[in-house]
Parts: sequence; structure tokens; C-alpha cells
Amino acid sequence: MNVLSKIQRYGLAVISCGVALPVAWPIDAPASCLLLAVMVSSLFGGLGPGLLSVALSAIAYEHFFLWRTASPPHEPAALLRFTAFLVATLLVTGLMEMKRRAEHSRTRAEEALRQANSDLARVSRATTMGEFTASLAHEVNQPIAAAVTDANTCLRWLMRDPPDLEEAREAASRTIKDATRAAEIISRVRQLFKKGTPQRELVDVNEIIREMVVLLRSEATRYSISIQTNLMATPAHVMGDRLQLQQVLMNLIVNSIDAMRNVNGTRELTIDSQPGENDELVISISDTGVGIPPQEADQIFNAFFTTKPEGTGMGLRISRSIAEAHGGRLRAVMNPSRGATFQLSLPAKGDGQG
Amino acid sequence: MIAPTTEEAIRLASMAIPTRAKKVAIVDDDELMRNALQGMLKSVGLQSQAFASAEEFLKSGQQHETACLIADIRMPGMSGLELQAQLNAEHCRIPTIFITAHGDTKMRMQALRAGAVEFLAKPFDDDVLLESVRAALEA
Repeated sequence: MNVLSKIQRYGLAVISCGVALPVAWPIDAPASCLLLAVMVSSLFGGLGPGLLSVALSAIAYEHFFLWRTASPPHEPAALLRFTAFLVATLLVTGLMEMKRRAEHSRTRAEEALRQANSDLARVSRATTMGEFTASLAHEVNQPIAAAVTDANTCLRWLMRDPPDLEEAREAASRTIKDATRAAEIISRVRQLFKKGTPQRELVDVNEIIREMVVLLRSEATRYSISIQTNLMATPAHVMGDRLQLQQVLMNLIVNSIDAMRNVNGTRELTIDSQPGENDELVISISDTGVGIPPQEADQIFNAFFTTKPEGTGMGLRISRSIAEAHGGRLRAVMNPSRGATFQLSLPAKGDGQG
Repeated sequence: MIAPTTEEAIRLASMAIPTRAKKVAIVDDDELMRNALQGMLKSVGLQSQAFASAEEFLKSGQQHETACLIADIRMPGMSGLELQAQLNAEHCRIPTIFITAHGDTKMRMQALRAGAVEFLAKPFDDDVLLESVRAALEA
């Protein structure tokens, strides 16, 4: 409706009545043809053009058709037909307007919901990251410590007599690598806190997995958990919102880490990405943790369901709705031996498909 | 207060080391850190060998040739402290210097009691680390 300008919308009302009239004349079907014109005007033009078309078609009806078959004049049946026609056209215009308003408010509500979802996801992301402040600090501290050592080494080579420039140069380039890594980690964390409206773009899920592993590696190491990744060699492209997909993967990885915190024996987190059936991309996050008790299997995706003392019960709920918003699915399966696997399926976007 | 313990540890640890072994081993899961440590040791004329995990180090069989071990505490799989315990169980008392970003007093005491010669927080002072390495090698 917003596509047409005001003049175009009123023009549409005039034209549709103008077209309906010559069509209705030879077949003597004014009510249906003019009603159609009113419908078109109200549907595409809105209330004003709708009412204009009601007025125009009433005039046309009255002028060309009402007394055409009525004989003698003032036949009550003809008047009744005209009244019924008027009521029908008014009703149609009114209904169309109501439908248009309902649609408008639904669109607004949907937009508000999307924004609320995105805000919730961002807050939840920030909360999750907040829990890892210590680990993130470690992740940044690590390359900084390496940079300090490399810079000192560089000085040591330079202070020799004679200075060993080749070795000094090597130490200096290592320092640059260290500092670049620290900066990269900080920029990744900042991205997670960024506020933004949901966007659809070509995203490589493998890249997101690698980023998340870098950010959460330290948290995993803290509980002696090793992380294995078996990612498909080609980019795992999907159309989607990078931040939201990061959120899903972060939630799933964090859940797996939490599930293994207190188990004895192997603590292994495996992340796979592979092509699935029907042009899908399947990302599996598998752990050797406590698993999911069968009686809770149906509940874990419910809002406010949590098994963690400080959990919000929103993580998996948000993750599943993000997966579904991307035309995908998120499901949990128990591993045959130990722990659980979460499978995220997303419609793959091949390079050749644009 | 720590100093006597450290000296004692070096003395105890050095008893088990063959005199000909002068190798330094580095065990750290972080590649940048491994490279930095190797570079640092090279700049003072020491050769070293780096391992990405405690398991890799144990598998290499180098523990019997190592005169000084620099290890990270927190690593995926076997932690630095677990590695130390494993080496002690094998009667392989290598003077060990721990470097960690998460060192608390309890962890530090545990490491020193098990025979560690030094416990440094990242980022650490190179001179302190090199001094500890030299002391371990000369012991």
C-alpha cells in the first residue's frame, strides 16, 4: 500500500470504476463488476480511495443501471438492489480497512518482537560473556605475556656486541604477531557486545566456530576439557545473522563445558560441521558430560527450564528460536557412550547459488 | 619465605638429574608462548625443545634427558600440576618452573611442595625466569 502515492491510489479508484462500467454494461452485471472495482480500490488504495470508489460506483449504478430494467419507475425491488449494493460496497471498504490496520499493527508488533528478541539475545550474550571475564582476561593476557617476552628477547639480541640483527628482527616480528593476536581477541569480544538490528548476510559457520573456540578455549582448559574440531574443508556458508549464530554456538559450547565440569574421566568437546541431507549444513556439538536425563529431554528447550544453579533457562530456548528463524532446527540426542550431542541444522547456501 | 623452599627444591631435584643432561623442555599449549620462550632461551644460548601438551612431552621420552622444565599450569588434558605428579611418580625429578596466568597461593604452594623451583605469573619477568633456569641447570 505504501508503494503507491496518494494520487496513484485515488487514480486507481477512478480507473477501476471507469473500467468496471463498460465491462458491466454489455453483460448487465453492475453489482458484481462495480463491487470488484470497490474491492480493488480499497485493497490497494486504502480507506479514502475505497470510499471514493463507493461514491463513484453508486453514481454509475444509479445513473446507468438502476432504471434500465426497472419498469415502471420507483420499483421497490430496484431500490432494494441498489441499497444492498451500497451496503455491500461500504462493508467491503470497511472490512478492507480493518484488515489493513490489523496487518499494520501486526507488522509493528513483529518488528518490536524481532527487536526484543535481538535485545534479549544481546543481553544474554553479554551475560554469558560476563561469566567468562576471567577466562577472557587470560586469553588476552597470554599473547601479551608472549609479546613482553619476545620484546625483551629482541632487546637482548640488540644489546649484544655486535648486535644480532637477524635474530632481533625475528623476535620483533614475533612480538607483532603476539600483539596482533591480543588485538584480535579484543575485537572479537567487542563484536559480541555490539548492538545491532538482525541482518541477513552470507556467513561462514566454520569461521564462527573457530572464533568461539578461541574465545572459550581458556574456559575449557580451566576444567581440563580438550576441544576437537572436525570442520568441513569448504566454507560452511549459510544466509543468516552472524551475531545470532555466534550466540547459538556460544550457548551450545558453554552448555557442553558446564556439563563436563564435574565429570570424572575424559572431558572432550567435539565440534563437527558437515553437509547433511536436503542441502543442509549440520553442526554437531558433542560432549562427554553428564548427558540429559530422559525425563528432561523434552523440557530442555522450554523457557525458564534450567539445571544450572545460576542459569536463566533461556539459552537453549533462544538458540532454538534463532535456529528456526534461520529455517533450521536444533535438537539434542544422547550419546551412546556418555554425554550429549546438540545438532544444529541450517539451510546451506552454496557458493554457486548466489 | 619462599627462597629456602626453592633452594631446597633445587637441591632435591638436582640429585636425580644426570649431569650430562642440559636440555630445557617447554610445555605450553599456546604456540605464541612456546615460540616466545624458545626465542628467549636461544638469546641466552640455551637450546630447548617445545611440546604442546603434557601428554606429548611424556610420550616423547625426553623427560629423562631434561634438565629443566618450563610448564604452563592450565592446559587441555593433563595440567601442569598433574604432569609434575606423574613425573614424581616416575621418580623423574626435573626442576620445574611453572608459568601461569591463574596462579593462586594454594596452587603455588602445591607446586612448590611437589618440587617446583619457581612459580611465575604471566606476564613474567624474563630475568627471574632465566635466573631460575640457570640455577636449575647449574645445580
